[in-house]
Amino acid sequence: MPPSVGEYIVFALLAGTVIGGAIFTMTRRNPVTAVMSLVGTFFALAATYASLSAHFLAIIQILVYAGAIMVLFIFVVMILNREEVAPVALRGLGFRSLGVAAGIYLVIIFLRVVRVAAPTDLPVLPETFGTVSSIGDLLFRDFLYPFEAISLLLLVAVVGGVVISRSHKKEVAAEQAAERRKIIEELARHDFPALADNAADTHGGGGHH
Amino acid sequence: MPFNLRLIPLLPFIGATLLMLFGRRWKRETVVLVACGAVLAAAFVAFDAFFTRLPEAAEVGGLTDNVWSWLSVGSGPTALNVDLSFRMDALSGLLCLIITFIGFLIHVYASGYMEHEPDYARFFAYLNLFCGAMLVLVLGDSLPVMFVGWEGVGLCSYLLIGFWYTDNANASAGKKAFITNRIGDFGFLLGMFLLFQYSGTMNFREITSVAQSGSALMQPFWLGQPVAFWVCVLLFIGATGKSAQLPLYVWLPDAMAGPTPVSALIHAATMVTAGVYMVARLHAVYLLSPAAMAIVAIVGALTAAFAAIIGFAQNDFKKVLAYSTVSQLGFMFAGVGTGNFDAGVFHLFTHAFFKAGLFLCAGSVMHAMSGSGDITKMGGLRKLIPWTHGVFFVCWLAICGLPFFSGFFSKDAIIAGAFATTIYKDAGLQWVGTFVGVLLVLAALGTAFYMSRLYFLVFSGSSRADEETKHHIHESPGVMVGPLVLLAVGAALGGFIGIPGAVIDHPELNLLGHFFEPVLGAEMVIPHMTEIIFTVLSVALAGTGVWLAYVFYGGGYREPAHQVAFRFPRFVALVRDKFRVDELYDAIFIRPLRKLSEWLFWLADRILIDKILVEGVGAVVDVFGRIARFVQLGDAQRYMAAFAIGVAALVFFATRPPAPGELKINVEGLSVQVDARRPGRQSPRELEYSFDFDDGREENQTAPEIRHAYRQPGKYTIKVTVTDPKWGTSTQVKRRVEVQ
Amino acid sequence: MPTYYYLTLSFVLFLVGTTGVLLRRNALIVLMGIELQLNAGNLAFLAFSRQLGDEKGQAFAFIIIALAAAEAAVGLAILVALFRSRQTINLDEASLMKR
Repeated sequence: MPPSVGEYIVFALLAGTVIGGAIFTMTRRNPVTAVMSLVGTFFALAATYASLSAHFLAIIQILVYAGAIMVLFIFVVMILNREEVAPVALRGLGFRSLGVAAGIYLVIIFLRVVRVAAPTDLPVLPETFGTVSSIGDLLFRDFLYPFEAISLLLLVAVVGGVVISRSHKKEVAAEQAAERRKIIEELARHDFPALADNAADTHGGGGHH
Repeated sequence: MPFNLRLIPLLPFIGATLLMLFGRRWKRETVVLVACGAVLAAAFVAFDAFFTRLPEAAEVGGLTDNVWSWLSVGSGPTALNVDLSFRMDALSGLLCLIITFIGFLIHVYASGYMEHEPDYARFFAYLNLFCGAMLVLVLGDSLPVMFVGWEGVGLCSYLLIGFWYTDNANASAGKKAFITNRIGDFGFLLGMFLLFQYSGTMNFREITSVAQSGSALMQPFWLGQPVAFWVCVLLFIGATGKSAQLPLYVWLPDAMAGPTPVSALIHAATMVTAGVYMVARLHAVYLLSPAAMAIVAIVGALTAAFAAIIGFAQNDFKKVLAYSTVSQLGFMFAGVGTGNFDAGVFHLFTHAFFKAGLFLCAGSVMHAMSGSGDITKMGGLRKLIPWTHGVFFVCWLAICGLPFFSGFFSKDAIIAGAFATTIYKDAGLQWVGTFVGVLLVLAALGTAFYMSRLYFLVFSGSSRADEETKHHIHESPGVMVGPLVLLAVGAALGGFIGIPGAVIDHPELNLLGHFFEPVLGAEMVIPHMTEIIFTVLSVALAGTGVWLAYVFYGGGYREPAHQVAFRFPRFVALVRDKFRVDELYDAIFIRPLRKLSEWLFWLADRILIDKILVEGVGAVVDVFGRIARFVQLGDAQRYMAAFAIGVAALVFFATRPPAPGELKINVEGLSVQVDARRPGRQSPRELEYSFDFDDGREENQTAPEIRHAYRQPGKYTIKVTVTDPKWGTSTQVKRRVEVQ
Repeated sequence: MPTYYYLTLSFVLFLVGTTGVLLRRNALIVLMGIELQLNAGNLAFLAFSRQLGDEKGQAFAFIIIALAAAEAAVGLAILVALFRSRQTINLDEASLMKR
């Protein structure tokens, strides 16, 4: 059944927003603007997912992607906020532009093929296609292992992220304080040898970090 | 007849090995015992063989000893079979006796002379090695075995001349000897090869029989001369090197840098005579070519005269003797060159005694003069070192050729033989005999003169040495004097084995002539008158020479000597400088060669190896490294770009429609059949073909074959475009075709 | 809509993301480009899932979203650490390799 005019218009709007948002994102100098436009792109994408009967995924896209991941980006942008003078990286520009050209060539080939190759008739989908219960059922039955694995991966990512971006200032400060304490105790033992035995006990306990 | 001949060279070799391995740890006495003992033992065996066994075996080719089958190459007429085998016949037997006996005497002498030498054991090891090699040379039954000995004595000569190698001059002298020898050896090798090629054998007896029968060696070879001529000349070149004749004699005077016993043994008595021995051995071949013998004789005579002149003005004791050796060797070659083989070998025999004696006297004198050999500072030694003087006196008379001393008989035989020889008649070279004879006469006069000069300047008159040296003049110890005396006895009496009895109608008195008959053939027949004339002439010349020397130098430098030096200073200097032959060789050969090697070094080493091969390889690796570096960028963005490019390229090549490299076109008259299929595996893809026939007409279809008829003959370019509609890619193929 | 519309959209979105990744200098923007690429993949999955009538594609897309979250977190952490040590997020200057 060929799609109706309405469907065409909806698709055109959504697709335009997606692509336009994407291009907008990639061409911004200001990272905050880029993030915002990316959020917009994701919203449009969510709508596109919905039009593909992937309702659950659409909501998840908004919640997780536009909600959580983009907020993460905003945090980092705020930490590192720098304007840059020239947006395009200059090192080996020719080579990378050649890569982009290759990509465009691939798209053209694809366009030529897809018109001929892809079938056009769609199956009739059940009512519950793409709903929460249906996808949840799938996740907890057939995709249980990947599900658990991905949660493990998220744990690893959390720990990794914390470890990598940890500030070392406190550590350095703690080490310096320990050094200072050791020197003070040495000097104290020099001046008051009578207290050496006592000092040895505490020294042995507090000296290791 | 078989006999254990191998012991004769083997014993000295064993001695040499033991001394080289253990000598350094032994006491002096042990070293002397081993060294002299080895040679003495060899002498015993040689004497035993010579006197008890040889007489019976003489007629059947002497004593033989086949040690080992050495080379056996090929089969049939071109086969080469060389065995390590020895043969003692009259000729080699006599030389064995000379080598072992005089070798032993010199070993004994050296034990005293080299007493203060730290490298005692090494010296005697080399001496023994030399004796062994010389014996191999002489006893060898074939040319290769002789060549082994030939090279061996050359090596030992080098080792012994350069014995005190820490002094550069000595090392250079050793080098000069070896290299000059080597140049001669090149000729020797060529002669050997040529002889083998035309006679098919290297064995002496077989060579002799080939030469004496048949014409194998008389075939023309080069420049119209037969093979025999070239063989003889080439072998003689080797002899000029080893036996110090013109032009390769230059090493012998320099070789005096070695210890005196070395000069006595090697450069007087034995090694230098190897050339003469070689010619005598191959006399059958030489007799085939009078022209070659003429060359031998002329070179020998010229050398004799030339060296004698140089001897007039030398101021070093040993140098005088060195040039004397060169001159006497010239006599020997003149002897064998004129066909008088007996006389040449006879002179070899007598020369060994008196020349060795003279050299050992030189050692004794230098010992007395605290190591100096400068005769300008000697004089009056007659009373101070009587024994040495006595020996020198006897040997001096022998070499001058005074009657009844050994030199008298041998030299006379040669001179008379030169004038009386008949071997040149057939070749129309009769003048050679006379020419050689005249030269020899002059050389004999010269010999008498310079030897007498030496005698008078060293032993007569009063001493010209300084106080310090005069104090130390003393006679040599007994161990040195003993051999001296024995040699003098030989020099005095040795001549009596070769009395030319034919003159007085008692030919049997000539022991030597008879003795050599089986080996060297019948002795030369010299008319009585010639013999007598030249005997008288020689004596007269000897006397003249002695008298002239007395006039110039009797009792020291006399007025005539001063006059000559005053009036002809440049000529005297030239003679003293040995006619600057060494300088000439240096300019002609050595300097250009050195320049050439420097240039080659620069070319091959500096440029080819260093620059191109070593640095070049490095540079190539460097360049490749620089290029390859661009793959490792560390830039993830460029990596991803490369990824994308790679994928695009992959897709491009995978989606191209298959097309042949060349169109298959069948021309039949005006129509063509075109086949645009790719050869090999056909793909299942649906392709479109577009044919452009270059006459304004085109066809599009999905089949790869088409037939087309042209309207007019001519040359057309057919273009086929293959398209894959699915991917939208296409390929084009063209081909020119001619239609008639 | 026919599936190939969505596929084309996915492809073009991927291309835009790739262009940003290849050409931009700011590391944050590059990371965002990577997010776009992932989303393009997601879109393709969902399009095929609908065409084949199989929900497994959607489950897979779900996993991909979770993965993208983890990757973004770690990537940004690295970026923060990079900024701390080099005081720049300019990719041109961040590399230590020889030009």
